[in-house]
Amino acid sequence: MDKLFPTQEIGSLAKPAWRVKAYRGETPSKEEIAEAVEWGRRLGVENFEALIKMLEKPERTGEYKKAILQWSALYAIRFFEKAGLDIIFDGEQWRSEMYEHVVRNTEGFKFLGYVKSFDYRYFNKAACVGKPAYTRSFYVEEFVFTKNNTGKMIKVPFTGPYTLADWTFNEYYERKAAAQIKDFKKRKSYARKEFIFDLIKEVLRPEISRLIEAGAKWIQIDEPAATTNLSNEEMQLFVEAFNETVKGFNCIFSLHNCYSNYKILAKYASQLRNCSQLALEFANRDTIQTGVGETRVGYNELKAFEENGYQGNYGIGVVDVHTDFIEPPELIRDRILHAAKIVSDPNRIFVNPDCGLRTRKWGVSFAKLNNMVIGAELARKILQ
Amino acid sequence: MIGCYVTGILPRPKDLVEITRAYDRNKASIKELEEAFTKATKKVIEAQVRAGLSYVTDGMLKWQDLLRPFTENLRGLNAGSLARWFNNNTFYRKPVIVGPLHQAEGIVAKIAYIELMPKNVPWKAVLPAPYTFAKLAENRFYRSERELMFAFAEVLSEEVKSLAKVGFKYIQLSDPALVYNPFEESVSKDNLVDVKEALRITLKNANARTCLQTFFGDFAKILPEALDFPVDDLGIDLYETNMKELKEHTFEKGVALGLIDARTSLVEDENEIVKVANEVVEAIYPSKIRDVFICPNCDLEFLPWERAEEKIRVIGRATKILERGYW
Repeated sequence: MDKLFPTQEIGSLAKPAWRVKAYRGETPSKEEIAEAVEWGRRLGVENFEALIKMLEKPERTGEYKKAILQWSALYAIRFFEKAGLDIIFDGEQWRSEMYEHVVRNTEGFKFLGYVKSFDYRYFNKAACVGKPAYTRSFYVEEFVFTKNNTGKMIKVPFTGPYTLADWTFNEYYERKAAAQIKDFKKRKSYARKEFIFDLIKEVLRPEISRLIEAGAKWIQIDEPAATTNLSNEEMQLFVEAFNETVKGFNCIFSLHNCYSNYKILAKYASQLRNCSQLALEFANRDTIQTGVGETRVGYNELKAFEENGYQGNYGIGVVDVHTDFIEPPELIRDRILHAAKIVSDPNRIFVNPDCGLRTRKWGVSFAKLNNMVIGAELARKILQ
Repeated sequence: MIGCYVTGILPRPKDLVEITRAYDRNKASIKELEEAFTKATKKVIEAQVRAGLSYVTDGMLKWQDLLRPFTENLRGLNAGSLARWFNNNTFYRKPVIVGPLHQAEGIVAKIAYIELMPKNVPWKAVLPAPYTFAKLAENRFYRSERELMFAFAEVLSEEVKSLAKVGFKYIQLSDPALVYNPFEESVSKDNLVDVKEALRITLKNANARTCLQTFFGDFAKILPEALDFPVDDLGIDLYETNMKELKEHTFEKGVALGLIDARTSLVEDENEIVKVANEVVEAIYPSKIRDVFICPNCDLEFLPWERAEEKIRVIGRATKILERGYW
């Protein structure tokens, strides 16, 4: 980018209540429809009155459902544009969730039910029960829609192979390996590798090809599970999986990882090939006082990436996605300036929220992003 | 004896999952939640009895994580932030130690579903081992992790006493941190001496059979020291343990063989389980066989309940086949 500190989003944005209900064929409440009107006006969504009419008369047809997805994506696109971001996508409005969306659209998987994440939170976990097969594209349509509806630079969030495999029971490959490998530990490890590389070859690379054919220029590989297992063997597997996924494509690739062990990730980051940017979460670890230097404890681990020889760009998280606290522009400015000091070249710094904003209400997300854009501008003025 | 049991928190059956989710979103009352826990606890106890397990637990369905009853009920600590539970996509709340740990008799005995436990099968209880607790806590009070471990061992000894008093015949201490070594640095010999002493303190009043259950790591790494630990049985995760090294040692205690993989949904073939169990037993008991238990490698909570139940049945069947071979 030709300016310092370009601003970007990471991926998800909350789904408006009208989107959720209308998609299910239900009529949104008056308040929910009023919200669609209000945001339509505020964001300048063209012809949003047509959406309002649709919401008042829900239908249970495929055509209607798709129109709702498109409206919701259009709202999200205008949302990011209006907040002033330089690099955007559609808030993942077409996707149920980053894991489920891919698994539901790929053959060879079966959902087994809810398993515990923590407390009374669970996630719907699938098992791989057959060789994964690519039957239909799962990201291209939403990408094309976004491309046709914005003039901004687009970055496509793409769930990575290591995470997909780590969050899935590996029945097919473990059963297959049982015939050849007696030792349980070796069997599991062999089966895991086979699963990941088949998934890359059979499903993920074909989808990347289609995205690039459709005009995608930048794909962000999302790997929240990257440091689940800190052993050298597993970290190497994560690196190999990334490299194999992006190998040989004419496209910009980057990695997003959050709420992880960055000391360990830093040791392996320089081995990621064709990874132009690491988008990382820092605001969540930081204090909220303004200032550059000691008060910026959240950004300590940025040093680890530098010390370990990572030379690409960073997308630094400057707003926390888990609180409603609206970071003031001055705090965001100082976080950026502090990071710019650690990374000798300020041109290597992009600015983003810690993660997708799906858990925050639109009003909160908008205020956070808007301040992020102002904060980046303040930082730019100081350094230019 | 050749026996079998589960080794920790069981998954919540579907109905209970639904109620807990609803409760979390303020769409179910505390009464509905309690009723659902009771109903589900009955179900998971019955499943264990039906499968023919030698000892039965109450399923620990309320336990949000292995440390939580202590994190929430012990004086001297606060509940901290969420942290990853070893190398799983599951999280626990970090206990933050801010003052001296106060013994509060019977935390676990109080939350156990005693009234639902079967009359004709002996009961088993599960507690976090002192080493794992100290390792996973954030220590802001004691001078060292070691000191915290001994303080928690004192607390635990009261727990053990009260559990035995209400009728538990088997007490397992879960100690994943003792063998979980992603960076391949084993626990030092000095540390293992301390662990042994902490176990002695914990179990000094144990009027029950005891086990130190290790998982998520290689049990062979704490050999031969573990052979002298003051417990009746040693629990081994056979999906993480170097089998070759394990088989080089001679045991004089009982073993709990973690042969059912709680971290995969693929249901094991009982004949393969029996075959591997026999190989281990022959190697570690060259002259005199001791007590052998077949069990999951870790808590079955990583699975949906239906799969866990199938695996519990495999445990029962494999144990019967194994038993026929010896007696």
